[in-house]
Amino acid sequence: MDARQAILEKLKSAMRVESIKRPPKPVLSELSMNREQMVQRFGQELGGRTGVLYQAANPQAALRVLSDIIKAEGLKSFVATAQDICGVDIASLGEADGISVSFAKDFTDRETLREAAFKADAGITSADFAVAETGTLGVIFNHNHPRLLSIAPPVHIAIVDVKDLYPVYENVVETVFKNTNEMPSQFSFITGPSATSDIQGVEFKGMHGPKKVFVIMIMS
Amino acid sequence: MHPHANKFMETARKELKNEQSQMFLLMVSLGAPILRQIGMSTFADIAAAEAYSRAIRADVITRLPELLEAFEKNAVSNGAKVLWAKDAAEANHIILDIANQRGVSYVMKGKSMITEEIGLNDHLIKNGVDVFETDLGEVITQNLKLHPFHLVGPAINVPPSEISEAFLKKGIIDEASTDPVKLGGGARKYLRDKFRNLQMGIVGVNMGVAETGTIINVENEGNIRLIKSSPKTLVAIMSLEKVVPNMADAVSMIRMLTRNCTGQKITSYVSMDSGPQKCDEQDGPEELFIIILDNGRSEIYSDLKTREILKCIRCGACLNTCPVYTKIGGYPYGATYCGPIGQTLTPMLAGMENTSDLYRACTLCGMCKQICPAGIDHPSLLLSYRARQIELKNQKGKKTMQSRGENAIAGLIALGMSHGWLWSLGINLTRPLMNSMAKDGYIGNIPMGAQGWFVCRDLRAIPKKTFHETWDDLPSRPESSGNTSKKEDS
Repeated sequence: MDARQAILEKLKSAMRVESIKRPPKPVLSELSMNREQMVQRFGQELGGRTGVLYQAANPQAALRVLSDIIKAEGLKSFVATAQDICGVDIASLGEADGISVSFAKDFTDRETLREAAFKADAGITSADFAVAETGTLGVIFNHNHPRLLSIAPPVHIAIVDVKDLYPVYENVVETVFKNTNEMPSQFSFITGPSATSDIQGVEFKGMHGPKKVFVIMIMS
Repeated sequence: MHPHANKFMETARKELKNEQSQMFLLMVSLGAPILRQIGMSTFADIAAAEAYSRAIRADVITRLPELLEAFEKNAVSNGAKVLWAKDAAEANHIILDIANQRGVSYVMKGKSMITEEIGLNDHLIKNGVDVFETDLGEVITQNLKLHPFHLVGPAINVPPSEISEAFLKKGIIDEASTDPVKLGGGARKYLRDKFRNLQMGIVGVNMGVAETGTIINVENEGNIRLIKSSPKTLVAIMSLEKVVPNMADAVSMIRMLTRNCTGQKITSYVSMDSGPQKCDEQDGPEELFIIILDNGRSEIYSDLKTREILKCIRCGACLNTCPVYTKIGGYPYGATYCGPIGQTLTPMLAGMENTSDLYRACTLCGMCKQICPAGIDHPSLLLSYRARQIELKNQKGKKTMQSRGENAIAGLIALGMSHGWLWSLGINLTRPLMNSMAKDGYIGNIPMGAQGWFVCRDLRAIPKKTFHETWDDLPSRPESSGNTSKKEDS
């Protein structure tokens, strides 16, 4: 008898008990937030994790914020998910002095993508959702959005549209997993930078993933 | 798998004298429950949230086989390969096979209790496949060859100087340091090339979602996301109780897991994989293997009482409030799982015979039960193990687990209790014997083995007459209970 059959038979032959009725689902007080409150909560929660939220009135303002971050952090090389993220002209960054930008579609195979993602100073990505509850980004990984860009470089800059900001995880998960035939190969919640407290309980950022996370939210 | 569960007392005594361990246990016992409380206070109604997560886990256990079948079906239709393993040997064999077929020289592992349980590292290394742990705590335990001190922070107690020494020897850092940030930074640098060139990764699973066939991992360091992104081959191994009905339940459980685990409202990363990469994607695994492991759990499931253990979500909250764990730390438990959950799970996995110290090292205070987000009644389980142990018999049908003295006393008491006249005789003989040892109205010690009891207590000398004799001698009996007592007398 193979393992599958043996295990399932053993489980099924065990004594059955009646299913207990579930108590009511706990109330999520976040659901009553308006947009302004959501933005505030998002920034506050993200800040609590040392992430930084920038609100930009429009894509042009977002581009200025992006260049400021790049200057302030002294970043020289990026890999971005696309030339245009939420209307922000990422490609124009490459015109500045000494900065190299490459895009996900420049890489045709795993090896070159890995090489670039692990070498870049920063990954600039879109985010499909923002969740106010905990200052969390929701990212669908697919052919336009490789997974490594937001986890391999030491800095992650995400650009998200305020229309994709929701109060709680449920709003987002319902959308992403609604149609089981069209689920992404991976969907991730990202909340602030990578962290650990494994030595003596001392917390520090940037264990294996980014040390810093910036979120630029386009408010128009 | 459980090399020294039988050295519980010995290791516990040693740990009680270990200043480093004691300092961290103090920190854990004071800090962790506060962090948890702060995290839980973000719920509009904490009790409702707890009741709901407990109901989800109860539901999972009730419908376990059906949920597993649904999970398998949906994972397969997402393109994952689902394999089942009866025990540690089978799981290790499957994983080694996958590694050998792909000719990989090393694998990297995300933090996973289950691979620790089955001894996967040893098996792979013995057979020529190198294993790199990637969770900082596990990098440390792997290099120092330690058991986990805590479910969540397996090396949180290890002094930085010892880590520095081990890291220097292994070439993880170039110069000695006792700065946790430098040590962590060294591990980051050391592992980055390995992540970049990785061909095969291995992760555990926090939840397998039946309705969608999705596997979910909850982490802070980003090592699991790298392992799920960089290599062509990904193996996810989950013990069979990790399944949840649907995504909504998974979200509820994630909220509960992170708050109970580290006090965080959410971890840095929660990654949810439904199958391998799609054909036009540039990273993510080309092939995703999901191994569903039994390793004794279907046996645990077959008993209605012990089935409850399978509700556990491995948050570690029970450790941080346990008055025993917070004094002795994780090493005495001698296995993968420590604290109350180790005390309930390890005897079932390793056998009742060699683990009796585990289920006896409990004051039955009930804190673990009170805070458990999965709704496990640990004290009641431990009591039932104690009762079962008494009934254990050897092949000749003789009880095996107690000392001869204990058996003799139990036999004597049973004899007396089943014969009234013997009982009275015993009472009348014991009384003067006990009182012969009294001084100034107190018995301070008795010979033959009961010294331990008297270390910090005295027994009052026993009155000359029994209660019944005193009652009968009363010149006038209280009115109210007169009838009853007369009835009994007649």
